[in-house]
Amino acid sequence: MSTGLALVADGLGKRYGSKWALRDCTLEIPTGSVTALVGPNGAGKTTLLQLAVGLAEPTTGSVRVLDCSPRADAQAMLPRIGFVAQEHPLYRGLTVRETLDLGRQLNPGWDEALASERIERVGLAARQKVGKLSGGQQAQVALTLALAKRPELLLLDEPVASLDPLARREFLTSVMEVVAERGITVVLSSHIVADLERVCDHLIILSHARTQLAGPIEEIVSSHRLLTGPRSDPAAVARVHNVVRASHTERQTTLLVQANGHVYDSSWELHDVDLEEIVLAYMGQREEVAA
Amino acid sequence: MIRAGWRLQRTETLVTAGMLAALALLLIPTGLQMSSAYHHDGLSACLSPNASFGCGRAVESFMSRFSGIYSLAGWFNFVPALAGVLLAAPFLLELEQGTFRLAWTQSITRGRWIAGKLGLAIGVALSAALILTLLITWWRTPFVHLQGRMGANVYDFEGTVVFGYALFPLGLAAALGAVWRRAVPALIVSFGVYVGVRVFFDSWVRQRLVAPLTATWKAKTSGPDLSHAWVLAEGPSGPSGHIIPFHIGPCFPGRPRCTLNPPGHYMHAVYHPASHFWPLQGIETAIFAGVALVLLAFAAWWTHERVA
Repeated sequence: MSTGLALVADGLGKRYGSKWALRDCTLEIPTGSVTALVGPNGAGKTTLLQLAVGLAEPTTGSVRVLDCSPRADAQAMLPRIGFVAQEHPLYRGLTVRETLDLGRQLNPGWDEALASERIERVGLAARQKVGKLSGGQQAQVALTLALAKRPELLLLDEPVASLDPLARREFLTSVMEVVAERGITVVLSSHIVADLERVCDHLIILSHARTQLAGPIEEIVSSHRLLTGPRSDPAAVARVHNVVRASHTERQTTLLVQANGHVYDSSWELHDVDLEEIVLAYMGQREEVAA
Repeated sequence: MIRAGWRLQRTETLVTAGMLAALALLLIPTGLQMSSAYHHDGLSACLSPNASFGCGRAVESFMSRFSGIYSLAGWFNFVPALAGVLLAAPFLLELEQGTFRLAWTQSITRGRWIAGKLGLAIGVALSAALILTLLITWWRTPFVHLQGRMGANVYDFEGTVVFGYALFPLGLAAALGAVWRRAVPALIVSFGVYVGVRVFFDSWVRQRLVAPLTATWKAKTSGPDLSHAWVLAEGPSGPSGHIIPFHIGPCFPGRPRCTLNPPGHYMHAVYHPASHFWPLQGIETAIFAGVALVLLAFAAWWTHERVA
C-alpha cells in the first residue's frame, strides 16, 4: 500500500430516496489497524461498509479501498477484500463443504488448507447443512469464507450482533487470531461497545449519518476527561475544550470533555473515563447535532 | 461462476427434468401405441385424395380410440410455464434472502454474476423447451398426418413457439421479482399473468398475426381443402361471400331468413391454410422471445444498478 491507508472516505454520502443514510463522511483507516465502527442502529455503519465493498454507490463524495474505487475497479479490488455482511447471509440449502466449494470456484486466490483447517478448528462437520447451523456457527462459516480469500482488508458488518455472549467471544477471538497471524487490516462495525476494546485499536463513532469521532483508541481514551464540579455554566470550559456532554444535578455539573491539553481550572475535579462511556456520550449527542 | 451457478440452480433444474421425465413416461408408451395402430390400420393410405371408402371409418375409430389421451395435450401448456417461472427462482431467492451480498463480494463482479445466473436459467429453459417440442412432435406424428398441425393443441407444441413460451414466464418472473424483491409472490403472479397472456394470445391475437385466406365456393362442390387448415369461420353465404346467419326449424313470419335447408347456394370460409404454419410460428416466437429478452435485460439492469 503506497498511501499506508486501507480505506479513505472523502465527503462520502449516500441518500436513499429523501433520507441520508450517510453524510459528509470523511475518514481514513490506516493499513494494519483493527478499527471498530460504532454507532447506534441506523447511524450509517452498514451503508459505509456497503459503499466500501461496492455493494452501494455513493451519492456524494468518494471512497477508495486499497487504492481502488470499489465500483469502477471492482475486478481488481474484490479479490483483495473479505466481507461478511450483516446477518452473515449464506446459502442455507448448501452444506458447509458445498459452501467452501463455492468459495473456491468464485475466488482465484482461495486458500483451501486455511478453509478446511478453520472449519475443523471451530468444530463443524462438512456435511452439515448451513441452514441448520446455529447463528454462531453460521458466522464462523461466513468468516471462513471471507478469510480463505486471503484478503488484505477484512470488513465485518455487525458480526456479533446476533450471537450469544459465548459465541460473540469465540468469534472475536477468531478475528484476533487472524490479525495476529496475518496482520491484515480489519474494520468491524458494532452497536455493542463492550467487546470491541479487547480487539480493536482504532475507533470511529458514527451517529446520525455523520462521523462524530475517529482515531486510535488509546488517544481517544487519553484525551477525554470527566469533569465534576459545583453547578455552573460549562461555557468557560467549552472555550478551551470540546464539551461532548454536559449533565446537571441540582448542585453538581458533570462534563465529558475532549481535552485540549490539560485542564487547569481547579474548580473541576478530573476523572478518567472508559471507552464505553465516551462512545455513549458521542452517541447521545445526536439530538443536539440534529437540531 | 458456471459451476457455482449450477449448484445454486440444481433443485430447479432437477424439478424441470422431473416434469419432463414424467411427461416422457406418459408419452413414450402411448406414442408407440398410436404409431403402431396407425401403421397397423394402414391409415397412411387414407391420406391420398382418392382414398378408399373404408378409410373414413378407420380414421374415425383411430381418433376415438386415442381421443382421451389426445385431449390431455392442452395441459402440457403448463410445462413450459412452470419450468419458466421455476427457473427464475434461484435469481429471485438470491435477492430476497440477501445472499447476493455474499456472491457479489467474492472475486467476480456483480455483472458477471447476474449474467451467469440468468444465462444458466435461460439455457435450462431453452433445453427443456427443445425436449418438450421433440417429445410431443414425435408423439403427435400420426395425428398430424391426419389432421395437420394448425389446431391449437398441436400448434402450441411444434415448431419454435415453445422456446418463446418457456422464456416469457422466466423473463416475467425475473423482472417482477427483481423490482418486488419477493420471490414466491412474484413467481405466482408471473404464472398467472403468463396464463392470461397465453389465453388472450391463443384466442384473439394469433389468428391476426397473418391475414387469413378467404374462399367462397358453390355449395355441394368441393371447396378448398380445409382438412389441415385452421378454420376461423365457415358457413353458407351469398355469392359475395357474406356468411348468412340462418335458423333451422319451423318458419313463421318475423324470422325472415328462416329456411328448412341452408339458404344460399354458396359456402364461405375464413381460414389459415397449413402453409401459414411457419409464418405464424415465426411471428409468435419472435413476440414471446423478444418480450422475454427485454424483460430479462430489464431484470439484469435493475439488479445491477438498483440493488444494494
